[in-house]
Amino acid sequence: MLQAKDFDRTHLMANSLAARTPTQDVKKRMSRRTLGARLSPYLWVLPALLLYLVFKLVPLIGGVGLSLLRWDGIAEPVFVGLQNFERMFDDEALLPALLHNVQYALGTVAGKMALALLLALLINQSLRGRGIYRTALFMPVVMSFVVVGILWAWLYNNQFGLINNLLRAVGFTTTPDWLGNPRIAMWSLIIVDIWKWYGFHMVIFLAGLQTIPAELYDAALVDGAGRWKQFLNVTLPLLRPVIIVNVTLSLMGALNVFDIPYIMTEGGPANSTNVLALHIYIQSFKFYRLGYGAALSYALFVFVSVIALLQIRFMARGSEGAEG
Amino acid sequence: MKSQAALLRALSHVVLIAFTIVVVYPVVWMVFASLKDRAEILGNIWGPPQAMAFENYTKAWERAQLGFALLNSVIISLATVVLVTLFAALAGYALARFKFRFATVILLIFVLTMQAPVPIIPLYVMLVRLGLTNSYQALILPMVAGGLPLSIFIFQAYFRTVPRELHEAAIVDGCTQLQAFLRIIIPISAPVFATISILQFLGSWNEYFLPLILVRSPELRTLPLAIQVFFYDWGRSEWEQVFAALTIGSLPMIVVYILMQRQFIQGLTSGAVKG
Repeated sequence: MLQAKDFDRTHLMANSLAARTPTQDVKKRMSRRTLGARLSPYLWVLPALLLYLVFKLVPLIGGVGLSLLRWDGIAEPVFVGLQNFERMFDDEALLPALLHNVQYALGTVAGKMALALLLALLINQSLRGRGIYRTALFMPVVMSFVVVGILWAWLYNNQFGLINNLLRAVGFTTTPDWLGNPRIAMWSLIIVDIWKWYGFHMVIFLAGLQTIPAELYDAALVDGAGRWKQFLNVTLPLLRPVIIVNVTLSLMGALNVFDIPYIMTEGGPANSTNVLALHIYIQSFKFYRLGYGAALSYALFVFVSVIALLQIRFMARGSEGAEG
Repeated sequence: MKSQAALLRALSHVVLIAFTIVVVYPVVWMVFASLKDRAEILGNIWGPPQAMAFENYTKAWERAQLGFALLNSVIISLATVVLVTLFAALAGYALARFKFRFATVILLIFVLTMQAPVPIIPLYVMLVRLGLTNSYQALILPMVAGGLPLSIFIFQAYFRTVPRELHEAAIVDGCTQLQAFLRIIIPISAPVFATISILQFLGSWNEYFLPLILVRSPELRTLPLAIQVFFYDWGRSEWEQVFAALTIGSLPMIVVYILMQRQFIQGLTSGAVKG
């Protein structure tokens, strides 16, 4: 639609074309109108599009150029072609970092899904105080990774930490060095990530559970299905879309994870918690290999996208099979 | 049969209470520890504080420069919320309501690139070129760009459910398109605005990676960054003060969350539920 001033301008123009017949006049006004109407939606979208372009899409595309350079941020950049990508095959820290991401993904996704689904099923009963449980379990979502990471570094502390004191109180004589032992440090971080997010996934499962019609359970009951059968034949199939959403979110989070390993262990001990995002950070901002860092971050982006697509296709196909 | 149901219910409560304790007790323990003195940190590990050492807070506040950090976090988070909400609402409404040629393409651009991580190194290089590093804008503008796609997506999905007649009636009454949106549509859309604001505020408030890379001078540190730096500098000796800093960094948000839990839970899960 037109603003008042556009309307005046159209009117003036129409007047200046005095020779035209009245129908031509109306037609002219109509086409002006549609031109204005055609442009105005773009003005509504423009601020968002412009900001997104400059601060996300341009860096996203510009990084491709950067990945072809050898540059420390100070000296003159040197064009090196695809050397930064070839270099990845000689990077001895890269494969271990990738495997750490895989371990992190398997641990956090499995842990979050199992706990979140179990607790959602329990809360979904008509229990007293279910609102309180939901509020409490969701709480870590609003805390920052910095607070959660430092707090857990303390919970894991060998001498004063809650966890080892609890273990000693129930009779263990040797207690694990949760963040200091390279063989368990990664699992310790996985527990922290699960702790922060399982309430979040539980709430999403809960929303999914509440869309399942009660009649389906009644019908299953009539057929003589027990609780376990009901869960397998009614709940799980109908929950599949929600499961896919939850797995995708937690999987992508795990493959991109940076904050928890950076804050709690800085990739140590003995590189046992060094993940891809941390490796990119160290290459870029500790060794100032900006071109190589950019190349690595594209590799990570492609890797995460491929895994996420495969996972979604795999899980979606599973649902067709179940229905057929 | 009846007793079996009662047993199951009791068992459910036991499991839920156990997991609730696992989540809540560490946070309570953090607040306890922030009020203990050194002897208590070592000796009274489990219980509430006896010392009530409020000086932990004043010392942490000074040493970690938490006053600056709190102010920075408030300014940056509020600015991000205002810009994201305003721009995403305008774009989302246009994409939902107006028929124009590239509407679908524009929506797809946002949705398809949404999951791409912040391209931090090229962004950093570009901000250096623009002379924007070490400023509020260097944090606000990339955060806004990062928050826009999901917000636009949620807005447009919501605005499609608003009856078209409301808008048309306002136009007939002589409103311009923008006036119709501002006066008629926004007032009835308060819940979705609350959702987006909470989602964005919390995202900016807790953001750690961008400030870590883009902030050089101490007086521009946000709360998470200031706390982490404090932990690095003093974490090996001044334990009680670290807990005080952690409490300052998290308790206000937890209190707001408990007061507005419905909006928080809805806002933070809306991306997943809608997507």
